[in-house]
Amino acid sequence: MNPAAPQTQDLAKRLIDYEMSGDKSFEPKAPAVFYVCETLRPHLSIFMGDTGFHALLSRALVLAYAHVSWLQAVQVKADGSLGVSDKVAEQVAPEEMHAGSVALVSQLLSLLMAFIGANLTLRMVREVWPKLSLNDLEFSKGDKNEKAK
Amino acid sequence: MKKQNDAAKRNVPKKVEVLLAGKVTIHKIPTGVRGFDDILGGGIPEFSFNIIAGTPGCGKTTLAHQIVFANATEKKPALYFTVLGEPAIKMLRYQQQYSFFDESKLGKAIRFINLSDVVLEKDLDAVFHEISKQVAAIGPSLVVVDSFRTVVRKATSGVGDLEMQSFIQRVAQFLSSWEATTFLVGEYVQEEIRDNPLFTIADGLFWLSQLVERNSVVRKLQIMKSRGHDSVPGLHTIRISADGMQAFSRTLGFANKKKTNPTRGRRLSVGIPELDEMMGGGIVEGDSLLVAGPSGTGKSALATQFIGEGLRHGEPGIIAIFEERPPGYTDRADSFGLKFETSQKKGKLEILYLRPLDLSVDEMMQEILDAIERVGAKRLVIDSLVGFEMALAPGFRADFRESLYRMIGALTGAGVTILSTVEVEDTFTALSFSHYTISFLTDDIIRMRYVEIDGQLRKVIVVIKMRGGNHSKDIREYVITDKGVVVIHPRQTEYARLSTGLPDRISQREEVAPEPKATK
Repeated sequence: MNPAAPQTQDLAKRLIDYEMSGDKSFEPKAPAVFYVCETLRPHLSIFMGDTGFHALLSRALVLAYAHVSWLQAVQVKADGSLGVSDKVAEQVAPEEMHAGSVALVSQLLSLLMAFIGANLTLRMVREVWPKLSLNDLEFSKGDKNEKAK
Repeated sequence: MKKQNDAAKRNVPKKVEVLLAGKVTIHKIPTGVRGFDDILGGGIPEFSFNIIAGTPGCGKTTLAHQIVFANATEKKPALYFTVLGEPAIKMLRYQQQYSFFDESKLGKAIRFINLSDVVLEKDLDAVFHEISKQVAAIGPSLVVVDSFRTVVRKATSGVGDLEMQSFIQRVAQFLSSWEATTFLVGEYVQEEIRDNPLFTIADGLFWLSQLVERNSVVRKLQIMKSRGHDSVPGLHTIRISADGMQAFSRTLGFANKKKTNPTRGRRLSVGIPELDEMMGGGIVEGDSLLVAGPSGTGKSALATQFIGEGLRHGEPGIIAIFEERPPGYTDRADSFGLKFETSQKKGKLEILYLRPLDLSVDEMMQEILDAIERVGAKRLVIDSLVGFEMALAPGFRADFRESLYRMIGALTGAGVTILSTVEVEDTFTALSFSHYTISFLTDDIIRMRYVEIDGQLRKVIVVIKMRGGNHSKDIREYVITDKGVVVIHPRQTEYARLSTGLPDRISQREEVAPEPKATK
């Protein structure tokens, strides 16, 4: 399985950085991906339903842990939230943790782009993170299933 | 009593009196579907409670999306509830392929909300609560529930009919009170209409279906109910293309148009002076003329001259052809000295080549009508009716005459003069005009046919009928030259039974053949 396209990984990193910059209610050791997914979840659940979001995130997780092994310890709970044991979280090096977060978020975004195209995915991301600047991102070429402009 | 009423009226302020006297104005919202507003008598009544029903694959969701995208704005947003049908993510994936899909409307103008979990896990009260909560929060002007059928199916597994009816009533009342125009999308079969309370409560019922006839499939639309306003009855063809849905009204959009026949009685030349004379001065403007004859008698040549003459007088034209290809038509015109290509470039003439074997008659007619509107055509040629019918998918041929009748009636009423050709077989025993029942289609009939004279197969022409007045009864011989159809010789008085094609010579006049006879 291929990793997500570089532009998508770039977007994922920005979302992670943005989320990590604010006050968070998660456990300090929770992977960054948890914050991003938890912010996305209510928005996508309204649109897709809890079941739909659960299915999409589960698929993204399978795609991501082909590249980052510690993600195999992560579960998608019934409500669509992510869970991982404290023990695993403590054992994973910070850079590995970050790589896993980027891999999972970018796979989730890639799936969305594959289904609804980059334009609608970015529109959705902008609605969820209205203060995040994404104007310099270039998705007009290269991403799979993207609608031609 | 009368005095009391008069007194009461006198006490009513003038402004209020006007209001009391006036009826409520029901505004109509556009569907965004070409042709559909005509069928609906102008659009969908605002705040109405509508059902889009039909079997899978008929275009129900596409129709709902098209209505929503045509009307939703940030100030008047739309709520699109998805329920256990097509997942929202796939719905967006496919619907964005249509040209009407405007991604900038998603989010603020159009919001998708998934109700599946509520429907699956909770009861009807919870479903109503969720709908009302979202509607109250957003204040939409349009609400779609897709598919409502799944809400009902899930709910009825545990509740009685009365509770179901009560739920539907509550939803309908709530959404109308919130001034939302509502569309419930659902998969239904017609047998369900009778006993389903949903159809009783609904203000509008749009029924979509797919009909299969041999190898062709056609989608149809029927307005089964339109409370408080007129709609065009019957089954209307719909087609779904990259632009979404298009509807083809059975009345071809003429139902609400006034007839504008300008100067009834004006005679138009067909481009053949002798034939004009035979017709009593030409064809009456706004008439429908049928030219019947076997293959090779010059029907298309006559049609070419008819259009050419119109162009010469500044009357734009349309030629709808179903057998010959456009280059053949322009080449013939060139050989007659008529420069069709110049007129085409100037936008005064369009040659439509229509042979799409899977189109309905109404779609074909619409193509012709669009072309007429584009060039402002005053003359139309349909060459030929047989080819027209053959170009239709088999299932539509039954509708051919009815649709043709409506189109011809409407166009001639609007002042367009129509020349249709029809191929008939010469039997040499009778003078048949067409296998069609033609009298209702045409005002005038010209018959061209072969006759055997002195060992030559010659051609004769006769005006059979002119609704506009008297005409020559002569059977005239003609030839086709580099000027087109040229009527020659005065009436053939030395022959009898010309109309059979095998005339008897009744005089001994020495005749000069119009074209050289073979010497060997």
